Amino acid sequence: MRFVLPKGRLLTGSVEILQKAGIEVRPPQGRELITKNGEYSFLLAKSFDVPVYVEHGIDIGIAGNDIVEERESDVFVPLELPFGKCRLSLAIPKEKSVKVEEMDGFRIATKYTNLTRKFFDKRGIEVEIIKLHGSIELAPKIGIADAIVDIVETGNTLLANDLIELEKIMDISAVLIVNRISQKTRFEEINDLILKLKGVVEDGF
Amino acid sequence: MKKDLFSESVRLAYIVKDLRRTFELWGYKEIFLPSVEEYSPNLRKGTKFAYNNKFYMFKPDPTSQILANLKEKRELKLYYILEVLNGATKGEWQAGIEFIGGNDLMLQVEGILVAITALENLGINEFYIDVGSLEVWKKVLKGIEEYKPQIITALSRRNFEEIESLPIPSAKKEELWKLFNFRGKKCEYQKLNKIIEAINDKRVFVDFGTMRILPYYSDIIFEVYSPKFGKPIGGGGEYEIKGMKAFGFAFNLKAILKLYEGDLEKTRKIISGDLKEAYNKAKQFVRLGIPVKVRK
Repeated sequence: MRFVLPKGRLLTGSVEILQKAGIEVRPPQGRELITKNGEYSFLLAKSFDVPVYVEHGIDIGIAGNDIVEERESDVFVPLELPFGKCRLSLAIPKEKSVKVEEMDGFRIATKYTNLTRKFFDKRGIEVEIIKLHGSIELAPKIGIADAIVDIVETGNTLLANDLIELEKIMDISAVLIVNRISQKTRFEEINDLILKLKGVVEDGF
Repeated sequence: MKKDLFSESVRLAYIVKDLRRTFELWGYKEIFLPSVEEYSPNLRKGTKFAYNNKFYMFKPDPTSQILANLKEKRELKLYYILEVLNGATKGEWQAGIEFIGGNDLMLQVEGILVAITALENLGINEFYIDVGSLEVWKKVLKGIEEYKPQIITALSRRNFEEIESLPIPSAKKEELWKLFNFRGKKCEYQKLNKIIEAINDKRVFVDFGTMRILPYYSDIIFEVYSPKFGKPIGGGGEYEIKGMKAFGFAFNLKAILKLYEGDLEKTRKIISGDLKEAYNKAKQFVRLGIPVKVRK
């Protein structure tokens, strides 16, 4: 069975929970990206790419539900995992704070262009979206955007950049994702793993 | 622009030729659908555009297009090979059939057998077909209809936790859980058993977890997949139109291309020499149905 795990903040939780469910993950050494352990192989990928790998044939992955939604990945999401908890929020400089309904024509910087578009479309507000890949909170400071849509964990980064959270767009959590075809061809094996992981979660992981 | 439109086209042409042959062997006639249709909320997929203050759809989903064009009761056995747009500029080539106005059970059995033989004739044998039923789900959802959208979303994501968190009786949850994980050859739904029995193929299973959420499907749905390809190769289902029962499916041609391992070209008779003589010979061979290649 092939797993794809996210590099970065979700990696430790992903390795730990799989190990508790009886899957011995051999952590990658140095620049290694693929590791093997018996019948399991583990691929390390950028968190934004994990759902894409699973959609196109890797059996199982762990990713943030924000990324699964953003990439509109056609994968099964059988289980929410108890780590990687944060939220996707709309934030604006403190001194320029307005209501969401007054944001027509605003320029929004974000890594999550799809989710941002959907959020404003639902409200019937037309905004200009600028895609950035990192340091989103700097965009209003240097004047290239009026507001941002980004992940908020503690709120400290927002505070440090004089931004306030205007509205939460969605709650974020790590989730288990499964390839639609693998779910059929490895029905028993995958169901067994889901139940084991469910047990680990219920035991208070 | 495509990386190599011409090579892909050669491969597609070969596969499509074979699919056309199978569909026609089963008695289906090709339908040539217009690329542009006047906008209707019943048309699915396709790309919406405005022209002269009117809305249109460019390359919509063929099943919805056929249904929109069928104004009266009429039995039809159709097939199509065309590109469907996804709401923007991305297209997907599809090959599919529609069997409109046949008898119940015959429609579903024949539809699935057309899919099986079409793949087999292409030399693709490593595939599975999961057949599900919307009726079975409708029955279980009786009494908890208000949670239908959440349950359907949970099913399409295969997330049972979302169902567990709903305030519905635990007996219902138990029933849903059983269906959710049912996969086998025989079930409690006799219609489905009869279909599986008549198809008589070890690659065909009952799987209630198979979900195709399209507004027109009424009961039996199916999905074709291969362990060699990470996405479904195709799928379809049963629907009703003008009081008639109907059944259709579509293959994703890109998936079929990936799975196809056969030769793309048959042996050809090579003819060379004097221009007039060579082409005269070639003409005779072509008349006899023998493929030729004229060389200088």
